[in-house]
Amino acid sequence: MNNRVNPGFKKELQKFGMSEQWNECFHCGNCTAICPLSENEVLFPRKGIRVIQMGLKDKLASYVEPWMCYYCGECSETCPRDANPGELMMTLRRYLTSVYDWTGMSRKFYTSKWWELSYILFFALLVIVLFLIYLPLRPDAYLMVNESGGVMLNHLVAGISGDQFIRIIEFGDWAMAIIVAFILVSNILNMFYKIILSNKSFKVPFYAYFTEFWRLIYNFVTQSKFSKCDDKNYWVGHMLLMTGYTTMFILVVVALPAFQTEKVVDWYNWQRLLGYYATFGILFFLTVVTIGRIRKKDIKLQYSHSTDWLFIIMLGLTTITGIVLHIFRLAGLPAATYYMYILHLAILVPMIMVEVPFSKWSHLAYRPFAIYFSRLKQVALSKQYSTGLAPAI
Amino acid sequence: MNKIPSVGIYFHYENNGYSNGLNKQKIEKYSDQIPGVRYIGNSHDLPPIDKNIFIEKLKGSRVSKLLIAGYDPGMVKPFFTRIMSESGLDPTNITLCNFRDYGIMGRADEQMAESLIYCAVMTVNPDEIINKVVKQKNQDTLVIGGGIAGIQASLEIANSNHKVSLLERTGTIGGHMAMFDKTFPTLDCAACILTPKMVDVGLHPNIDLMTYSEVKEVTGGPGNYKVKILKKARRVDLKTCIGCGICSEKCPAKASSEFDAGTTLRKAIYIPFPQAVPNKYLIDEKSCIYVTKGKCGVCAKVCPANAVRLDEQDQEIEITVGNIVVATGFKTFDAGKVANFGYGTFPNVLTSLELERLVNAAGPTGGNITQRTKDKKGNWIFTEEGAEPESVAIIHCVGSRDVNNHQYCSRVCCMYSLKLAHLVSEKLPDARITEYYIDIRAFGKGYEEFYERIKQEGIEMIRGRTAKIEERNGKLHLRSEDIINNKLIESEVDMVILAVGLEPREDAQSLAKMLGIDTNKDGWFEEANYLTDPTSTHSGGITIAGVCQGPKDIPDTVAQASAAACSVIQNLITKKNKTLDKTVLISLVEEYVNKLSEITEDQI
Repeated sequence: MNNRVNPGFKKELQKFGMSEQWNECFHCGNCTAICPLSENEVLFPRKGIRVIQMGLKDKLASYVEPWMCYYCGECSETCPRDANPGELMMTLRRYLTSVYDWTGMSRKFYTSKWWELSYILFFALLVIVLFLIYLPLRPDAYLMVNESGGVMLNHLVAGISGDQFIRIIEFGDWAMAIIVAFILVSNILNMFYKIILSNKSFKVPFYAYFTEFWRLIYNFVTQSKFSKCDDKNYWVGHMLLMTGYTTMFILVVVALPAFQTEKVVDWYNWQRLLGYYATFGILFFLTVVTIGRIRKKDIKLQYSHSTDWLFIIMLGLTTITGIVLHIFRLAGLPAATYYMYILHLAILVPMIMVEVPFSKWSHLAYRPFAIYFSRLKQVALSKQYSTGLAPAI
Repeated sequence: MNKIPSVGIYFHYENNGYSNGLNKQKIEKYSDQIPGVRYIGNSHDLPPIDKNIFIEKLKGSRVSKLLIAGYDPGMVKPFFTRIMSESGLDPTNITLCNFRDYGIMGRADEQMAESLIYCAVMTVNPDEIINKVVKQKNQDTLVIGGGIAGIQASLEIANSNHKVSLLERTGTIGGHMAMFDKTFPTLDCAACILTPKMVDVGLHPNIDLMTYSEVKEVTGGPGNYKVKILKKARRVDLKTCIGCGICSEKCPAKASSEFDAGTTLRKAIYIPFPQAVPNKYLIDEKSCIYVTKGKCGVCAKVCPANAVRLDEQDQEIEITVGNIVVATGFKTFDAGKVANFGYGTFPNVLTSLELERLVNAAGPTGGNITQRTKDKKGNWIFTEEGAEPESVAIIHCVGSRDVNNHQYCSRVCCMYSLKLAHLVSEKLPDARITEYYIDIRAFGKGYEEFYERIKQEGIEMIRGRTAKIEERNGKLHLRSEDIINNKLIESEVDMVILAVGLEPREDAQSLAKMLGIDTNKDGWFEEANYLTDPTSTHSGGITIAGVCQGPKDIPDTVAQASAAACSVIQNLITKKNKTLDKTVLISLVEEYVNKLSEITEDQI
């Protein structure tokens, strides 16, 4: 491991959000002491600031602690030097996302708005062009209204049947999911290598991979660490967003034929209820966060990186176009439904393509894995301590 | 006419708030109008970072000299020396003009700043014009504040056979030092050093002691100040009171004791502490039943000397003095402002001053360190019977070195915390004592050795500020990062001591306004020159001493008080009072310059 001091590192980190405010830190330990999530084996944020001040890039790559931070903001509020450790952890999460991403795209997106915007625009145009050329609106679309007055969504395209249309969309869904999953999984493997394998000072016992596995699932589902922050409402709100998002994801990828039905099902059917729940969950928390980021009163929402806004805007637009699409459909407006469907996909597809593997969304995967890896490390170290093979940390 | 060389002027302002009130544009505009002067820039618009910009500017404006004006221009002189040499000019041709040296703090002092700049351009020493010497009309001195600084200064001046009036706000002199148990690093008994001095003051024929009095108004000028003094009604006659204490025994009203830092109660008619000077009783208006409700008067009935004057009123007197020594001291930081430490909520979270009284043999528990316990009425009080704490934690830097409170270091907290740790371990040898610090600043003679000694005594030193105190099952729960040992510590203690910092008194600003002296951004009185003249102010005949000038420990306070007395005595002996004329006009400078040039022309 290259542990040479590198004072120039701060310039590199600056691109990921925070200015040099953290350089104010005089290491009093206030942040670590007040942090409700800092534990004996995972000490942060102060130690992280030390690593950055020294510019130990390799050590930082194996530094798992930023993922343990849920940004409750207490450290920043009470910091006696206004060094803003909370925001630094946020910046580090952005930086680490780019470190794990072997393709280098994440780094491009975080450090350059134009790269990200052109990437999004490319996918949006791709969706629109593909649709207009290969799946055009049928001329007699105005007839595609069923007896209950709703639009027959799957019959709007000329030349193909409803089943075929569903299959095409489903194919697109799966293709996208597989590409995204491939990048994300390989990034997680890269993260695993950087945190566990590249560190020669400890060796994880084989059984620990299985005995600790439940933590991964448990933390993914409950985000129990988040609930340790003082502001419990924020955790509930985030939970709404997360479950809503996951529900929608399952509905449109796994259960598309059952979700995107020909007939407009009654409101009490599960498809619609789940859909409404997801919409509410996403929209509710998005509104809260947007207001918070504009008002800048809450310390964790005071500093917004361009990617934070982009995530909010993309997700918000996806949700709003989804709602409008639903309204058009219920109102029986076939052509409007068709174009809104394209627009909806033209926002959704680039959002998934940019956010899931390369940007903010990836924390959904990195966080539970970080907890899992950190546990593995702890198990390995405690075993080594008990057998007297403790390394110097 | 003398030819003026072309001078480039650069303004250096610091971001510390000194220059906030100053109309910088006006000064800059003025400086550009002086013939031969070229405005280069100021540090806000053009920070001294990029060399090439300055080199181009200097070459473009064809100057041969550079003048750096503003606050602490010496800070950027090395930068400009390099620039001068790189742009082919004489690097020694740099003149500095420090506004701070002449007390330009921003309150419409632009004219003064302009004059200074003009002086610098004309290469005239501003001291020649600005400093005025006035006659010392009055040989008396007023010392404001009866703490150790005031006592020391009064004694020094009085011993040189000059009259001193010592003004003290409370009922006794002694100040904060009288409250302390021991002094660091020698562990001398504070009272044993201080009380003889207090008695000296009380008995000195040259010292007119005015306790329970405040300054109301200051008029006049250097060498001849008229000071209006409010003598608050003591309601006990100083001459006849024999200090027997019967009144206090019988008095039914109680209030929290100021001298014991609120750890215990005193009567409404009281003597601050047994060694008080003057050793006479006084009545606290706020708690006295006679004053508040109009009936009682037990003290007057029982007094054997007939010294109680229940209907006495406040008096205003006026004295005339030539010099004033300001030694108003400090107040400790209000620990309740740091909500996370729960001071005021948890009964066994104390400030250092409270512990200081608790340790003291004359304190509320007779020197036994005990926890606060609930009495029958449900109040939390200290008693001798209370349980001794098994573990004590001392938290450093409460209110100091913190942007949310005071950014400065209060300088004494580290040392007094070490001292308190020693005193606690002396009384409770089995107690576990832990200090949570950021850095230990053992800066003085014998201090580092004291720190080493304390560490040897088995006191646990943890580098890592705690952030929060919680109460669980009657114990105080602390969490801290142990930075040196790389771990998180969670500990439960019985008692927490908050090492509170020092801050200026609430009315320091109004006093400064009365006296016409400056305060810095933290509220401490500003000296004429921090390095070379730390006791004088920009108002002639007014000197400052002790913590009111900035946090300092007892040795430094005493030293400064003696220094302040020295400059007063110098004024008294020479019968001259040097003062700084802040309303100096540019016309005066011109007059002076013309006079100088006439002389040189004549000589030629």
